[in-house]
Amino acid sequence: MNVIKFELLKLRSKSRGWLGPILVFILIMVAFPLTVEISNKDLDQSFFAVLWIAILLVMMLSTEDIFLEDFNDGSLEQFAISNISLPYIIAAKIFIYWLLIGVPISIIGSLFCLGLTNSANLAINILPILLITSYIFINVFSFGNALSLNKGSALGTLVTLPLLLPLMIVLGKTVISINLNLNYLGFVALLLGILSTIILLIPLIISYIIRAHLE
Amino acid sequence: MHLKVKAKNLSYKINEKKLFQNISFELFSGKAIHIKGDNGSGKTTLLKIICGLTNQVKGELEKKLDKRICFLGHKNALKQYLTVEENLFVLDIINHPDLNKHLIEFGLNKSLDINLSSLSFGQQKKIALLRVFLNDSDLILLDEPCVGLDNKTQKYLCKFLNDELKLGKSILFSSHISLDINSEKLNLSDKI
Repeated sequence: MNVIKFELLKLRSKSRGWLGPILVFILIMVAFPLTVEISNKDLDQSFFAVLWIAILLVMMLSTEDIFLEDFNDGSLEQFAISNISLPYIIAAKIFIYWLLIGVPISIIGSLFCLGLTNSANLAINILPILLITSYIFINVFSFGNALSLNKGSALGTLVTLPLLLPLMIVLGKTVISINLNLNYLGFVALLLGILSTIILLIPLIISYIIRAHLE
Repeated sequence: MHLKVKAKNLSYKINEKKLFQNISFELFSGKAIHIKGDNGSGKTTLLKIICGLTNQVKGELEKKLDKRICFLGHKNALKQYLTVEENLFVLDIINHPDLNKHLIEFGLNKSLDINLSSLSFGQQKKIALLRVFLNDSDLILLDEPCVGLDNKTQKYLCKFLNDELKLGKSILFSSHISLDINSEKLNLSDKI
């Protein structure tokens, strides 16, 4: 529990780390209908594509220094030799980032969905999908950031980007199912399956990568 | 006296360049070893090997520890954007009964609400040292602990470490300057 308290304190004091990505997300979502001159119906169709891409980019942005600061100031060294297991600390860090960035973005995304599609049913159904998706994105991008930890470049994150393309296809199919009033729970179950695998594996893999960087 | 760390023929090379070769030593409880050597001789690497951060090493290393290792390296593991008090909270020593005593000794008891970035390097080092002063471990590893410290604090640190030795703790430290700590010497410059 201490790790979670420490992370919350750090992010509370460093508000640009979580407020910045949320503001960027709002800006993208506000700018989207303003920058295209198409009918309301067309706006509906392209909304979800913009929503998924916006979340993808914002999650990429938000995890930029998830480990970098701790690596530079020596905190990761202390974590690595502490009694608490490193994968647990990493999982806690990712969870806090999701809580402070992923959850607000999911709620805001759902509200934008309500505003642009005028469908409360769609907005409510899309919320759990947004929550699951943002958690998957944040995990995968954290892995990417760990890869390029001491390089100071976004290369690691870009390398992990193709891993998320199949997920984008699933997300597209899920929205189509919701729009056509088809049973979309299978897609949600698939997303949950991906998430449960990822939250177990990614912290473990990241801990090995970080230990390699600390050598 | 209990054996805490036993190293036998430790060798380490980086990019095919040998850093040190065949280092052997035994560290018992209540004893200290002063690691000496020129710049780049592998003092920091040896400390990292002992605390488990570096594993690509030849030789045998045996550790018999009941508690976690207390390690203070070149990096302080402090957050510049947090206040001193918040940093103490992050270090998980904010509620330690002896904290105030050391803060008064360091002259930092009235600086708790100041941002760490406003403090000098030496003062920041003192905050980092609190991790050592309030440690709950049986092996203390210090990498150049006196860098940035004034004479008064250096003497206070030496007195504290000598007291820790009397309590049966084991200490390994690297330093370019001689410190008034009862210790054996291990010179890495002879081991290349």
